This record gives sequence, C-alpha cells and structure tokens, in this order.
Amino acid sequence: MPAGSQATDGDIVRAVLAGDRERYAQLVERYRDRYARYAARMLGSVDAAEDAVQDAFVRAFDQLAQCKEPDKFVGWFFLILRNRCFAERRRNRTSASLDAANDVAAADRADGGAENAESRRALQRALMELTPDQREVFVLKHVEGLSYSEIAERLSTSVPSLKMRMHRAYDRLREQLRDHT
Amino acid sequence: MSEHEFHPLVKQLLDGDITLADLPAELRAEGEEALQLLARVERTSVSMPAVTWRVMAALERRRRRFMPWLLAPALAAAAALILWLRPASPPPSASLVTVRFVLVAPEARQVSLAGTFNQWNPQATPLIRAGNVWTATLTLPAGQHQYAFVVDGARWVPDPGAPAVDDGFGRRNSVLTL
Repeated sequence: MPAGSQATDGDIVRAVLAGDRERYAQLVERYRDRYARYAARMLGSVDAAEDAVQDAFVRAFDQLAQCKEPDKFVGWFFLILRNRCFAERRRNRTSASLDAANDVAAADRADGGAENAESRRALQRALMELTPDQREVFVLKHVEGLSYSEIAERLSTSVPSLKMRMHRAYDRLREQLRDHT
Repeated sequence: MSEHEFHPLVKQLLDGDITLADLPAELRAEGEEALQLLARVERTSVSMPAVTWRVMAALERRRRRFMPWLLAPALAAAAALILWLRPASPPPSASLVTVRFVLVAPEARQVSLAGTFNQWNPQATPLIRAGNVWTATLTLPAGQHQYAFVVDGARWVPDPGAPAVDDGFGRRNSVLTL
C-alpha cells in the first residue's frame, strides 16, 4: 500500500482503519488548509476556525468507519466541518462579529491596504448578521469562488434554493451596510 | 420591493449572470453599488500549519487516557508532547532538568528546535527521526524557556502540547517552565 504523498485518500483511510493511526496525519496535512478560509469566514475568527477544523478532524477520525466512500473523504469531511461551524455559531453568536472585524483588519494591515480596512470590516460584520445558511452560500460563492452547481452538489441541494438564499443575503447585506454608514 | 432590496437584474449581476453594461441605464448606479459590495469581500487565504500536530496530539492524548496499560509504548508515538524524564540516578545538579521534546511530523524532511536555550538558532538542535516521530532530549537549567519547532528549515511551529505566548512579531512561542 502506498505510504507516500501519492497515496489516495482511500489508501490512507483504509490504512488508518487497519490500525496505522499515524497515517491520518497525511490526510490532515492534505486538507487542513482547503477549508480554513471557509471556516474562518463562517465563524468570523481564525482562532475559532482553527479549533473547528481541529475538532472536525478528530470527529472524522472517530467516525472514519462510517466514511462509505473513502476516496471521497474530503467531501465527507467537509460536511463534518460544516456541522461543527453551524453548531459553533449557535453556541457563540455574540463575540464573533468583533473577532471577524479584527481578523479582517489584521489581513488588511498585512496586505498594506489599510484604506480598505473599514469597508471590509463593515462587510464582515454584516456577513455575521446573516443566517448561517445565507452566510454559507455567500462564502462558498464569493469567497471560495464556487459556482451554484458546485455548491448544490456539495450541499446536496438545488440551484434555485441556493439562489433564493443568496438573493435574500444580498438584500440583508445591503440593509446592514446602509444602517452602518 | 423594499428600499433595501436590490432589483432582480442587479442580483443577476451579483451572481455573475450579466454584466454592468447589460443593465438599463436607470439601474447602473444600483449595479455599481452592488459591485462595490463584492469588492469588499475578504478573500485572503488562511493557513493552519499547527492543526496537523494538534489533531495528532489530541488523538494520542485520548488514546493514552483510555488505554493506560499502553502508556509505555505510547510514549514512542506521542504527538507533540513534552515528556519529563525521571533520571535513573540523582541529578548532577538540582538546577538541571532533562526534557524530551517530541513531534509527529510524517512529511517533514528535517525538524529542529529553536529557543531561548540555544539563542533561537534553528541549526543548533536538530531532532532525530524514528518513523513519523521526531525527538530531541535536552538537559536545561530550571526556569522558564520559550521555543518552537522549525520544520524543513522554514516553518516555525509552536508545540500544541504546551502553553504559548505571543512573541510580539505575530508568531506564537511555546513556553516550558522547569
């Protein structure tokens, strides 16, 4: 069985299930950053996102035997992370907006684009006022750059229902941004 | 339609289905406002290098908690834990303590330790590889030390099994108190 970085996800999942626990680190290394930005924008904080990604990988390890298609590990893992993000937002709604604004401000400083900091901060705060469903479709389309059909496939839903969510999100963002300017 | 709602054509613009030039003249200003909204979106990528070590350390800690009879062999595979070694004979000096640093880094080609005890020199203290586990055993003076693992000579990784402090330059240093 391949042990190097060329091993497929299925190879690694099967090796871990057979008792080679340390191979799991290869899966974590391979996918830890893929959804880092999604989690950070959903939760409004890079620190909270890092905890969520870590927790999702631990949960995925616990439930690995239930991964019916090991070669599609990453899609299965995304749904675990998504559930974790939604649960986290239900638990902790209050501090995230401020964290979100701070994270965005930090990114702006790093980019040297300080003049955009306030407008980006305002949008990030407004994003945190959306429902998690609305925020998710906005993040997947306008941050991650996925098409509606790709999002629909990932979330097992329909394009018209995603568009409905997104169009409500546009209106709410406009309202939030007008209220804060 | 309320005053906050974008016109359906402007929503199509935001969806990328049409361009600003496709909008009728009376909707151009609203279209520009909508595009400015998208221009504010923060798309900076986010990287989480410490997550690998944190996940493997969490799994290892839990395994050791649930299977204490496996403690001894588990030490060899411990992920990013600092293990205190009890000396077989009395220590030569009460002010020196022997400590083992352990990191699971299956894809690393080289791991070293940089800290206050070696003037933050990433070449001074290489870790030795045994499978996926990298270790270094040091005898350090009692007191507080700060350190980080340096993976492949470039990536500074705090020890997820130890408390950390901000180094004032945007990185986290692990803290070891002996």
